Amino acid sequence: EKNITLDSAARIELSCRLDNKYSHLKSLQVTWKRGNETIRHINKTENSWSIQLRILDNSKMGSYSCTLKGEEEISAMFHLQVPKIEGKEKPIVSYEGDTAVMICKSLGYTPIAWTWYMTNGSEQIAINDSLLADKYVINRISANVTHLKILKLTTEDDGVYWCEAAFELGKSKGKLKLKVLSLMVPLKPFLAIVAEVVILVGIVFLYEMYSKKKEKCAEDEKEFDQVEQL
Amino acid sequence: MQQQGGERKEEEPEAAAAGKSPGAEAVAGGWAWGVVFHFFLVNVVVMGMLKTFGIFFVAFQEEVGGSSEQVSWIGSIMSSLRFLGAPLVAVVCRRLGERPTSIIGAGLVGGGCLLSTQATSVPFLCISMGLLLGMGFACLYQAAAVMTAKRCRTRLAFSNAIARSGMGLTFLIAPFTQLLIDFYGWQGTLLIFGGIVLNLVPSSMLLRPVSTQLPRRSSAKNEDRGSLMAKKDSETLDGCLDETTHGEIQLRSVQDLPTTDGLMMSDGRDVSGPSLPPTKKENSQPLLDFSPLTDPVFCIFTWSFLFSHLAYFVPIFHLVARARTLGISSMDASYLISVAGITEMVSQLLSGWVADQNWTKKYHYHVAYLVLGGITNLLCPLATTFPLLMTYAVAFAVFCGGFMALVLPVLVDLVGVQKLHSYLGFAAFFAGIAAVGGPPLAGWLYDYTQTYVCSFLFAGACALISPISFFFEPSAQKWKLKKAKLNKGPTLG
Repeated sequence: EKNITLDSAARIELSCRLDNKYSHLKSLQVTWKRGNETIRHINKTENSWSIQLRILDNSKMGSYSCTLKGEEEISAMFHLQVPKIEGKEKPIVSYEGDTAVMICKSLGYTPIAWTWYMTNGSEQIAINDSLLADKYVINRISANVTHLKILKLTTEDDGVYWCEAAFELGKSKGKLKLKVLSLMVPLKPFLAIVAEVVILVGIVFLYEMYSKKKEKCAEDEKEFDQVEQL
Repeated sequence: MQQQGGERKEEEPEAAAAGKSPGAEAVAGGWAWGVVFHFFLVNVVVMGMLKTFGIFFVAFQEEVGGSSEQVSWIGSIMSSLRFLGAPLVAVVCRRLGERPTSIIGAGLVGGGCLLSTQATSVPFLCISMGLLLGMGFACLYQAAAVMTAKRCRTRLAFSNAIARSGMGLTFLIAPFTQLLIDFYGWQGTLLIFGGIVLNLVPSSMLLRPVSTQLPRRSSAKNEDRGSLMAKKDSETLDGCLDETTHGEIQLRSVQDLPTTDGLMMSDGRDVSGPSLPPTKKENSQPLLDFSPLTDPVFCIFTWSFLFSHLAYFVPIFHLVARARTLGISSMDASYLISVAGITEMVSQLLSGWVADQNWTKKYHYHVAYLVLGGITNLLCPLATTFPLLMTYAVAFAVFCGGFMALVLPVLVDLVGVQKLHSYLGFAAFFAGIAAVGGPPLAGWLYDYTQTYVCSFLFAGACALISPISFFFEPSAQKWKLKKAKLNKGPTLG
């Protein structure tokens, strides 16, 4: 199996070559297929067969297979794909009222355009930054990188976001998750710890006062003893 | 009578283990363990935060922006201020006492963490995280180290080693931090860290001033007990040291402690009891005390300290890289590091315990470890396979742990507890220079020679150079004694 990444129109040649250890197989029938559709192939050399393709649009992308039928059946697959977009695995954590920056990168290939979508229920709604300019800012930092800045976060902004890169030969999406927390969320453990600290301070303080009192009592007794001795 | 009292005080940390000695002695021993516990926590927190800074690094870069170099400045300021701020902290410590300084330190670190949650730019973070945290760490560390030296007189090396083993636990903090960041984001994590650091406040309260024990010991002190309680810790500390140095001179006839200080103080005491504290106040050092810089013993110690720190930092940085260049997988390389870490911890405890047995002067052990460590480093280039590298790592960790555990006890032996603050402050300052300069120097060595072999040879050479100064120690002590006798002459006559 092989994955081939294409971002713009190209002519490609896919060839299947039979390994020498199989050359004993006779009467081989070779078929090149895309799905159910058979494609005419060229017998380049004695043990290799290839097809030539002109990829102009998305319709020609997909999986191509070459099958050799003889005593055994051997096949190989080629996957023609648009470039993958890198989103983020872990959710981005941000707080209410803050600004969140979501970054999408295209690996190696330059997309024609970027579009951002937010998920509302099961629908994907495109984010229009000119319409909601004080909420969303979309920046194309470089040819391969796009930033979506969301200002004044609220809990409603929590959810899944998609960045879509448009290539000549198709579109590709990257997934990002945004988590918006209210300020109370980390504040609770913090206050719990502060309470514990205050309690500990109190305990140490009380113990000190108690032991000082004990010392004083012991001191007074000792002084009394010494005075008696003298 | 008083000398016996002094001796009894010596045995407190040991008696505490039995827990059977009556009332106050058990309490005093208990406080000593409390101090060790606090020092342990300080090590865990300080080292933990310094090491996990790398995890925050990525989060900062993404959110606050700024180039990788700018963000790494925060980390460098933090770790270098911890050392470089020590002289200033020593001054504060002597003025206010250890406990307030420690609480201030904890407050600084906690406050710095909380302030950083509001950060919006790298310079802001530099100050809020770098400066505040760095100074806070320096305060905490200095107060805890000196208090340990003051409290645990007989078992200093072992207590120091126990406290230092806190550094070994820091490997737990990294995954914990990552977990927090995944849950709460870096701001929430800093908030929670601020809270955790505030826990050092009650443990700082365990750093009780040593003076409150003293009045019960001697009848001579009873009259000015009232005034003693009111006076500052530093002076009463001088008073309490009279007895302890007396006791020490009895116990440790083998070691030549600051006998000059002891002699001077005993003469002062013969003059009059109650008037002792006031004269001590005049005699005690000016606020920013530069006298360590002129003391040959200090030079000896700092020379050794500087080079041994250089020898310590460099191999740690380059061990993994060297393993990789030899073709060892990164899993095995990180295994090397963890084994080295555990070995170091164990070796610290052992070395501390052995040193406390007082079979010979502590710095002899120190010298031995350094020399052996240096030889190990010089032999490292011969280690080209994984088992050999593992042997090197274990050996290096053993010797490193050994000499690291003894740094504080050796300093205490050389200069005594009274002046420990200023000495430790300046020593830490010079160590800070080594810490700041060490990694770039190592990196430069690698770039220049294109092999890591050189860094290990360099580290070995440093480790061998550093104990040389200790050979001058006996003659330096004699010089000091002569000088003190010359100074004393006019006053007695």
